[in-house]
This record gives sequence, C-alpha cells and structure tokens, in this order.
Amino acid sequence: MVFEELSGLKEHYLHCVRCGQCRSVCPVFEEVRNETAAPRSKVFLAHMLSSGELRTGPEAAAHFSRCILCQACTRECPSAVPVHKIILAARFMLARKHPSRIRGTIFREIWTRPALLNLAAGLIRCSQSLGLVKMGLACGLLPPGFSLPGRLPRQPALDSLPEITPAAGKATTRVGYFLGCSTNYLYPEIAGSTVSVLSQLGCEVVLPKSLKCCGLPLLESGELEPVAPMALYNLAAFKRLGVNTVFSDCASCTATLKELQAQQLFSGIEVLDLSGLLLELLDSYNSGMKALNRVATYHDPCHLAGAQGITLSPRQLLRRTGVEFREMKDAGNCCGGGGIFAIYHYDLSMKILNKKIASIEETGADIVATFCPTCVMQLRHGLAKHKGTIEVVHPVQLLAQSLILA
Amino acid sequence: MNSHRLAAELRKIFPGDRIITGELERRIYNYDSSFMARFHNYMPDAVVLPRSTAEVSATLRLASEHKIPVVPRGAGSGETCGCLAVRGGIVLDLSSWDTVEEVDVANMQVIARPGVVHYKLNKHLSEYGLFFPPDPGSTRMCTIGGMVANNSSGLRAVKYGTTEQYVLGLEVVLAGGQVIQTGGVKCKALKNVSGLNLTKLFVGSEGILGVITKVRLRVWPRPRARGIAMACFADLNEAPAAVLDVYRAGIMPSGIEVLDASAIRAINLYRPEINLPSSEAILLFEVDGNPASVEWEGRQISEILGKRAFSLEWATDPDRMADLWRGRSVVAVAAARLRPDGSRIFAGEDISVPLDKVTEALRKIKELSLKHEVPVVNYGHIGDGNVHTAPVINLNSPEEVGRANKLVDDIHRLSIELNGATTGEHGVGAVRNQYARDEHGEAVNIMRRIKEALDPDNIMNPGKLLPPEGDTGGV
Ligand SMILES: Cc1cc2nc3c(=O)[nH]c(=O)nc-3n(C[C@H](O)[C@H](O)[C@H](O)COP(=O)(O)OP(=O)(O)OC[C@H]3O[C@@H](n4cnc5c(N)ncnc54)[C@H](O)[C@@H]3O)c2cc1C
Ligand code: SF4
Ligand code: SF4
Repeated sequence: MVFEELSGLKEHYLHCVRCGQCRSVCPVFEEVRNETAAPRSKVFLAHMLSSGELRTGPEAAAHFSRCILCQACTRECPSAVPVHKIILAARFMLARKHPSRIRGTIFREIWTRPALLNLAAGLIRCSQSLGLVKMGLACGLLPPGFSLPGRLPRQPALDSLPEITPAAGKATTRVGYFLGCSTNYLYPEIAGSTVSVLSQLGCEVVLPKSLKCCGLPLLESGELEPVAPMALYNLAAFKRLGVNTVFSDCASCTATLKELQAQQLFSGIEVLDLSGLLLELLDSYNSGMKALNRVATYHDPCHLAGAQGITLSPRQLLRRTGVEFREMKDAGNCCGGGGIFAIYHYDLSMKILNKKIASIEETGADIVATFCPTCVMQLRHGLAKHKGTIEVVHPVQLLAQSLILA
Repeated sequence: MNSHRLAAELRKIFPGDRIITGELERRIYNYDSSFMARFHNYMPDAVVLPRSTAEVSATLRLASEHKIPVVPRGAGSGETCGCLAVRGGIVLDLSSWDTVEEVDVANMQVIARPGVVHYKLNKHLSEYGLFFPPDPGSTRMCTIGGMVANNSSGLRAVKYGTTEQYVLGLEVVLAGGQVIQTGGVKCKALKNVSGLNLTKLFVGSEGILGVITKVRLRVWPRPRARGIAMACFADLNEAPAAVLDVYRAGIMPSGIEVLDASAIRAINLYRPEINLPSSEAILLFEVDGNPASVEWEGRQISEILGKRAFSLEWATDPDRMADLWRGRSVVAVAAARLRPDGSRIFAGEDISVPLDKVTEALRKIKELSLKHEVPVVNYGHIGDGNVHTAPVINLNSPEEVGRANKLVDDIHRLSIELNGATTGEHGVGAVRNQYARDEHGEAVNIMRRIKEALDPDNIMNPGKLLPPEGDTGGV
C-alpha cells in the first residue's frame, strides 16, 4: 500500500542493487519466466518513469499491472526495497497521467458511494439471473475474469445484519466489525458466521451501516485520491458508535486498515487480528465445543501471512474446531487472486491458481480454509474448474459449526 | 539486418511467446547487478528464450550468417555486465530452460540444462542425499549455466573449491551453430584425462566461446553435521594470522568468513537483534562432516582461536548457527546503512590476494577509501583470500560516482600489485577486461587466438573478458 509519489520513493529504488533475489519468490515471474516479469524489472522501470526516461502510456501501464501485490518480493529483498509500494506508486503516476473514464467511473464515482455500489451489485445480480453475464462471457464481450465471483447472493450482508449485535451471554468486549466489500456482496454467510461466533464468545459486535470500502481496489488501480477521505469517513463512522477496536474477517481489509493507520488516516482506533481475537475469546469460553469430523488444510492469504506476518493463529483456530489438520505444500504461496489482477490477467492468474489447487488436493483434505474472502473466491473458482469436491470456507464458518453444535 | 527482419527470422525458430522485441521489454534486459550497468543503455535488438539445443544452434547459425552479436544470459545476477548486449544483438535468456535431466546416483553425477537455479538443484539433490558443493551468495537466483560460465564459487570454496572442480562435461553450441560435447561424447566416468581438456576451457569463459546448453556435474554426499565458531578480535591483523594458525594445525574448515569493523557496525545498525560484539574483526569458521569430527574440529579451532581472539563462541544448534550466518549474509545490504544517503554498489567488489597478503590488502583498501573519501565495508571469503569490498556512495552525486570509480580502479590495481587477481569469483565481463593485459601479459594474445579460432566473426558475447579493442599489447 502506498500513499506516496514515486519521486518520494527514490531512495528506495536506488537501494535496489538488481541482485535478482526477488525472482525466486514472485508467483508471476514463476509463470512468465522471463526478466520482464521479475519484480526488479518493475523497480528498474519505476526509476525510469520517475526520471522521465520512460514514456507513461499503455505499455508501461500493462507492465505494472502484471503484479498481484502479494508482497513476496518486498519480504525477500535483502536490500529492504519496498517493491510492491514502488509498483503501486508507479500505477498511481500512470493513472494520473492517463485518466480513464471507465476506471474513474468505477472507482471514483461508484466505489466511493455505497448506494451506487449496491445498485451496481443489484444490476450484476439481475444480469446474472437473465443469463446476460453468461452470454457476455461466452461471446467474449466480458473478460473471463468476470466469471470469478460466481452467482451473487440475493442480499448483501449489510442488509440482513443489525448495527449492534449483543453478546449471547455476558458481554466482555465491544468490537467494531469492518465489513469489507467481498464479504458483504459475495459471502454474506461468512459475515453471518463472524457476527454469531463473536456474539456467542461474549462480544458485542458493532457494524456501522454506513461503511465504505477500505480503499484497496482503488489503491491497486492507481486511483489514490478518494482513499484518504474514505478512510476518514469510515473512522468517523466507528467513532460515532463509540468503538475503540475494529477487526475484519478479510485479511486484505485488515492489512489496508493497518497501512492507513501507519499513514495517520485511521488513527485512535486499534485494528485487531480476528484470528488472535478469536483464540483469546475461546480461552475463556467454557460452554464446550463439538469436534468437527472433517479433514482441513489452510491457505495463507498474502495479506495476512505476508503483509501482517500472521500464520500461526489461524491454524490454531482450526485445530480448536477438532478437525484433522493437514498442512499443504507451499501454503504461503499466492493463489493468484489479488482482486483486479485476476480480472486483467485471468490466464496468468489461473496458472498460479492451478499450483495452489494441486497443493490442496495433495493433502487429501475435504475442506480448505482461508482468512480472506478474495482467496475464498479464487479457490472456489479453481476447485470448481478442477471439478473438485473440496469445500472452501472461512475459519469462522467452521467455528460457527463447532460452537453451535455444542 | 534491421530489427523487423531479425524478428521475422527469429520467429522461424521460436514460438511467439519466447521472443521479445518490444522496446520497453528489451530495455529490461539492460541490467545485471553491476554498478556499470546503471550508467549505460545496453538494449539488445531482440531477446529469445531457448528451450532446446536445436533452437540455440539455429539462432547461432542465423547470427553467424549476419554477424549479429549473441549474448548468453542466465539470471542476470552477475556483477560485470557479462550478460548485457554491450554491442546490441540477440540476448539468449536461458533461465527458463531449467530441467534437471538426470540424477545418476550410482555414478554420483547430475545432468542439468543451463537455466536450473542453484538452490533448486541442491533442493532436488537433497532428496537423494547428495549436493553440489559450490555455494554462491546468489544461490536463490543464479543459474547453473551462469555458474559454469563464470566458474563461480562461494562461502565454502575453501574446502570444496570452485565450480570447475565439479564439471565433468558440457554440451556447447559454438558460434556457427555446431554442437560439441566436451568430456567425452558418451562418457559417464568421474576420471577422464583423454584429450585436451576442453571442459576447463569453457568453464569460466563467460559466454565468449560458445553457449553452454547442458552440464554434467559431479555431486557429493551431503555432510551429516555442521558447526560454526565465531571469534572476535581487537586488531584486524590478528584475523588473517588466526586463519593461518588453523590451517597449520591441519584443519580444513568448510568456510572461513571475515567481517571488518565497518561491516560489524553496519550489521548492528541494520539488524540490532543480531547484536555482534563490537570489535575490529570477526571471523566465522564453519566445519562440516560427521558429528564426531565436527565436534573434534570445533574444539581444536576454539583452542587455536582462543590465543588471539578476545571472545569466542562455538555453535552446533541450527538456530544459533543460522543467526551467526545471518550476520554474514546481510552484510552486503547492511553496508548501505553506514550513511543515510548511501547505496551499496557492486564494483571493485571481488579481489583475490595471496593468503599472506590479506592483512595488507585490507589495510590498503582502508587507506584508499580515506584517500578517495568513499566509505567502504570489507568482508569476504578470507579462507581463500577473496576480499569483498562494498563501496557505499550517494548515487545522486556525479562527483561522488567519479570518486568511487577512481577508488575501484585503485582497488583492482592493488590486487595485481599484491600478486593477486582482480576477481576471485565474480568474473571479468566488461568491467575488468581493461586489466587483462596487466594480469595476463602475453597470455592474452593466446586467449585472443583461441577466441578467434572458435568464433572468427567475434559474435559471441563481444566486448567481454578480453581487453577492449585497440589493445594490441605490443603485438
Ligand atoms: C548478491 C549476490 C551475491 C553473489 N555471490 C556470489 C558468490 O558468492 N560467488 C560467486 O561466484 N558469485 C557470486 N555472485 C555473482 C553471480 O551471481 C555469479 O557469477 C553467478 O554464477 C551468475 O549466474 P547468472 O545465472 O546470474 O549469470 P548471468 O549474470 O546471467 O551471466 C553471467 C555470465 O555468464 C554468461 N552465461 C550465462 N549463462 C551462460 C550459458 N548457458 N552459456 C554461456 N555463457 C553463459 C553470461 O554471458 C555472463 O557473461 C553474486 C551476485 C550477487 C548479486
Ligand atoms: S531483491 Fe531487492 S535489491 Fe535485489 S533485485 Fe529485487 S528489489 Fe532489487
Ligand atoms: S508483489 Fe508479488 S506479484 Fe508483485 S512483483 Fe512482488 S512478488 Fe511479484
């Protein structure tokens, strides 16, 4: 995530010694297998962009778009070059130099206004029901990435969940729920589980009805300007309801909120990791839980494991539900989703996904859990293509079963 | 040949997704990790990604016919502009041709295509209890082809030597497209003195004699145990002396690394948690073998070092060893921390001097650093006299870049003056070929004749390794 101009990152890209170590971890490079996909090539071109040696234009934009923002390169870099931030800053510069009406309408006009976003989701749902999306995909009018979300549910989560859900028993904590766009529009059942599990574990859950997007899709698209006002708006929404701590069931939202905090745009409120919070609450939960008779594996979302370094607690959480846990090979490797990346680079995204699916299938598990709704979408898409029977769930859904059955 | 025609001809050899002709993408092939590459535009006319010997051969036939330069490239982790098209032409990016064709356990050898990445090869070999011992710091990215072409080595060269000791045979495509097999056409023997040793000729030839398309490597059984001794010295001069003490006791560690005071400071600034004892020099000795021999050698080394070092530690716990080694491995980067506006550069970074001149080399490099007012960090493979110097400069200052270039030139000349070599493992490329005449004298003319015999039109990686054109050396 970045809120800086490319020129402001100059010291960072000068630190790149072009050693190439980042080649060894980049999922996009692994598939494309030539230097033009190496993370360092993006640092190199960003340097040229900022010095004016490289023309801004569609060619440069295409180059910088070929990145999932998984941050693996940034973590691997021995020179501590924040590669993904440089890529975002380059996208921002390119988007500003070459404004696009479509991109502007989607991200500045619609994405910033929940009412319009609701309307857009409704229109998509209608088109799906009328078979228009299927037709569009079949005749190539719509890019194949549009098949990713599957059928949109009838109602977004926000329509069915109350602003305040009291604790089932005695309330021990009061937490704000940052409901992200993916959970809201694609997987209201995850949101439902999140709220009911937390309530059962003694939390009063506060879900502001007026939330906007965390801003990640805008950042990824280089549409930076609306991000800060949106963050301040969301912050005010939580503060109005007297909330001091927030969490999200979406790893990408949490990572973005933490980054917004670092930029002083979401201050005075604590951003909690949901897996850690749940473990803590479970420690003092004494109504017992039913062990689920399932075999589960876990996929580490880049925005949780990579961006926030959280790998242990989600696994502990799964084990608490009594499932037989099996670690998959390369659980920390990206699934190729990354929001808009899968839409722009569907084929590439699918190649990356295929490896992940193979790792999942190799475990023999009947469930794969992950802490990010975007990963849920990607994994479901991949497993459906492979005609797999493995169920993709968010850990809170398993927890809900385990608690409810108690 | 104009670029359209070239692209059209290449399309007859390669599928479209393995030819790169767009300007932006070709510019990306403009760098390796050398300092020099930052200041030049070495854009190739085309880049191709071969995956068969036939494709390489056809490309070289085409290039010969039209006298187009051809530049082999692995991962581009080299530090000498070696893989850059300094005269334009076609870059052969071999890094996607990465199949391990055979692990012949019975005969302790492996056959690999050039693009196999070093750590991936060793990961694969570990399944068989084997390993390929040379271990460059660039293990996670460099390719076997690049290692052979550069005769690379690394931290454990003290005991295990360099790549050349492990190359049993090569498949090489020569300038006209002819394919030869060195080390015997069907040979699987480990020992072989039949014929002129062409394998050795191609190892370290930096792509100027032909393209390496297949490598037959000798591999070793993995050692069962490891241990690391760390010793801290109050006087830098004591470090090289301590190394000689250990050798004289008849012990051959698998690695001996040195960090000078500035390196120690830089590491502690970069990663305070590593917390190296502040001292004038730190030596790290690694020993490997079977558990009993490792313990015995560890005790002996500790005893010997105890006479000169003011602090000593012996570790066999994997986590602690990883910690100690981490200090050494982050230094290349940590160097930049010595000044807020600094960037570490790869230049003058690889001199090699006789063991009894290491102290002098380290002292003189410090003096040169003061003279040119360019801070440096010294570290390296002291066990074989290979000193890595990391100048830390402000890349935004052309004046400082100029001073750094003078320092680098002085460091290279110092290595020759001390009866050493301008490069111990990183190679010559286009950054050290200007010293070839001083280093090799008349032998340079023989190198030229070999090059002319194999590549009469000078299409193979021109402008590298041999002295720049115009140097006749009085011939
Ligand atoms: C951080 C870092 C640490 C390093 N540590 C070490 C170290 O410890 N020891 C060491 O020896 N080196 C080290 N190096 C230098 C470099 O990694 C090695 O020289 C490496 O072997 C180069 O491999 P490559 O695949 O990147 O080759 P490239 O850089 O792509 O090419 C290097 C040279 O080999 C030629 N070449 C490549 N492939 C072929 C082929 N198939 N046929 C013919 N010619 C070919 C190229 O033309 C060029 O001249 C380090 C580099 C970095 C950036
Ligand atoms: S690992 Fe870091 S320093 Fe090395 S090439 Fe990649 S970005 Fe540059
Ligand atoms: S963020 Fe991920 S996809 Fe993007 S360049 Fe880095 S490693 Fe590759």
